[in-house]
Amino acid sequence: MGALYEVLRGFIIGLADQGIIHYTFSYAFVANGFLCALVIGPLLGGIGTMVVIKRMAFFSQAIGNAALTGVAIGVIIGESYTAPYFSMFSFCILFALLLNFSKNKTKMSSDTLIGVFLSISLAIGATTLLWVSARVNTHILDTVMFGSILTVNDTDMNVLLVTAVITALVALPLYNRMLLASLNPSLAHVRGINVHLLEYVFVLLVTILTVACVKIVGAVLVEALLLIPAAAARNLNRTIRGFVAWSIIFSTASCLFGIYAPMRWDLPLPSGGAIILSAAVIFLATMIIRMALPRYREASV
Amino acid sequence: MQGPSIEFEHVNLRLGNTHILQDVTFSVRAGEIHCVVGANGGGKTSLIRSMLGQMPHTGNITINWHDNTTVGYVPQTLEFDKTLPVTVHDFMGMTCQRRPVFLGIERSHRQQIDEVLERVGMGAKGKTKLGSLSGGERQRVLYAQALIPEPSLLVLDEPTTGLDPEGREVLERSVVEFSQAGGTAIWINHDIAQVHEIAQTLTYIDREILLEGDPRQVLKSGIAAKLFPSLDLLSAGAAEGAG
Repeated sequence: MGALYEVLRGFIIGLADQGIIHYTFSYAFVANGFLCALVIGPLLGGIGTMVVIKRMAFFSQAIGNAALTGVAIGVIIGESYTAPYFSMFSFCILFALLLNFSKNKTKMSSDTLIGVFLSISLAIGATTLLWVSARVNTHILDTVMFGSILTVNDTDMNVLLVTAVITALVALPLYNRMLLASLNPSLAHVRGINVHLLEYVFVLLVTILTVACVKIVGAVLVEALLLIPAAAARNLNRTIRGFVAWSIIFSTASCLFGIYAPMRWDLPLPSGGAIILSAAVIFLATMIIRMALPRYREASV
Repeated sequence: MQGPSIEFEHVNLRLGNTHILQDVTFSVRAGEIHCVVGANGGGKTSLIRSMLGQMPHTGNITINWHDNTTVGYVPQTLEFDKTLPVTVHDFMGMTCQRRPVFLGIERSHRQQIDEVLERVGMGAKGKTKLGSLSGGERQRVLYAQALIPEPSLLVLDEPTTGLDPEGREVLERSVVEFSQAGGTAIWINHDIAQVHEIAQTLTYIDREILLEGDPRQVLKSGIAAKLFPSLDLLSAGAAEGAG
């Protein structure tokens, strides 16, 4: 894969050298960030629509928090503290399975249970990570919480690419089934859909996606990128096609602009924060459009 | 098409400390419209969901299929966020095709979908958001989805709730045609006049079976008069019609 990345990076750097795009893209790390944005944007934008429909926005947040613990465990068992993927994936997958299992067994509403797990995961994650950080004298917490898209290496890009391929291969054929299962589980069951299994599959997909993006976007911000573009797209669309398409466009545009803007105008913003702020501006614009245009008018209560 | 016959044998359902169904035994013949009636909370929906394999019941429920094993199910309601950007076409597409519905409806399904929507009087509403439909319109769409692919067993859980007279007539006519073509229908129904008119058999359930048989026979019984105070009006109407 290294050769492919080299070609792609070379292409972007070439464009920058010719003055077609801003000169900052001639740095390899900016080109890396740009390539990641092209994968993360469509991926999170697409899956985000399902996250919004299934009302699981805070699930991703809980997984992001669990990733803190994963990083701490990774450091303790001797993984590299810049990329402890084995521990992050293992712990987060276990955490997600436990959460979903608890939800199925207790029949408690999703928001309550996710809220409980979210708090627990943040408490454990912050405690263990701060303890580990003090021992190895690094600022891991900042990196995990807010990401560092401009320091991604080929390993991070490999993890992201593999995750993206798995997510697309699994989610696309199951999209309708997941949608129907979230609208009416009983009807979905009659149509031969294994509702519980599908729920586990979706939970696992969001989990691996969240973990793969933690290094790049940050544990805190992955959830925002799953949620905000989809919410903005929902503001303006009446069909699933428009909803998904605009969510992908908004998400990708936010990622690209979030990387480009701080470089272009020399703004003192971390790329993760800039990405989410870009998405937030889009969301606000769609909200204003929705409120202003009569075609979106609906019942007041 | 030949619908299945169904045998319910000593079906019991207990959830927590509540005994929802107690020793329910009856059968549904192939190709008939069988109405399940009873008071709210009497276990009708639980019985249907037990048959669909969604409840931890005991006892046996046997469906004797022929070649077509497709069940068309019309749930009581569709509880969802009304602001979701899902149109009637999107909903129909997600129930019957594998291709992600955001990529559009497959050509092979488009005609079928338009046809069943037309049949329930919703042909012009394909692009309307599901959340913008009235309760009755949504029931029609729910019924329409049950017709793709062609079922041999229709299971309807109070589908006429919220329907206007025209909608009720459309749905009733469609179920009768389905039955005449050989399909079996199990219909949870509160409208005893409608049951009297279209059902070949009925079962009244209030945890256990209180009435069972041909509605034209069993509705004349003393128990029926107690269970359905409106039967007086029904028989008065029938007498008037005969006169």
